Amino acid sequence: MRDRIERRVELPTTLEIAWQALTDPDWLALWLADEITLDPRPGGEASFQIGDETRSGWVEEMSPPDEQGTGRLAFWWTLDDEPASRVELTVTAVADRCTLLRVVETRPLDVLDLVGTPLPGHGGTTFGPALIAA
Amino acid sequence: MPADPSGAVFSALADPTRRRLLSAISAHPATATELAGELPISRQAVVKHLTTLAQAGLLVREREGRDVRYRVTPEPLSDAVTWLAEVGGEWDTRLTALRSSLSE
Repeated sequence: MRDRIERRVELPTTLEIAWQALTDPDWLALWLADEITLDPRPGGEASFQIGDETRSGWVEEMSPPDEQGTGRLAFWWTLDDEPASRVELTVTAVADRCTLLRVVETRPLDVLDLVGTPLPGHGGTTFGPALIAA
Repeated sequence: MPADPSGAVFSALADPTRRRLLSAISAHPATATELAGELPISRQAVVKHLTTLAQAGLLVREREGRDVRYRVTPEPLSDAVTWLAEVGGEWDTRLTALRSSLSE
């Protein structure tokens, strides 16, 4: 079972610029967190400073916009020993200067969910978030 | 989350102001007057939202002299509800900031 948040917003911009707003650390610092470092590849480490908190995390997926007009960034983040949650940001071109952003944040609630989540990277080893968080 | 046949929990949480109120109350129990002082809405509007949240079983009322103090329902559901309110509220704030960063 998972707790799940979903939001959809239309952004008055092109798909390319929306993707930049989601992946350029300087731009991310304007809205997602105060300071961000993010290694933009699957398994890459990430850190998010929000106020006086620092969340650590890692990138699960970084897929720039494809021919179908969809790009996706998925990452996990966690604060201290709290359970990690997964954030998926998907941008889809709707019209010339209109891009739909869909945000889904999910928090796995039990161990089976965590173990069942494969993660690429980290020297070719597959870890579940529970192992990384531990 | 447990099944919620009435959908009252989800419709109560569908409103951003109610999510903010729930998030504030989960941090510290409060009266409608205190909450109205923290948010840019009238006490009357706060009371209306609190009634909706209480009817959905998310808040309990405790009489305190002439006032009523609200606190988050202390049972297992409240952890999930608190997470939905807090994390949902955070995304509302972030997406507002994202939109304004695009218009600059």
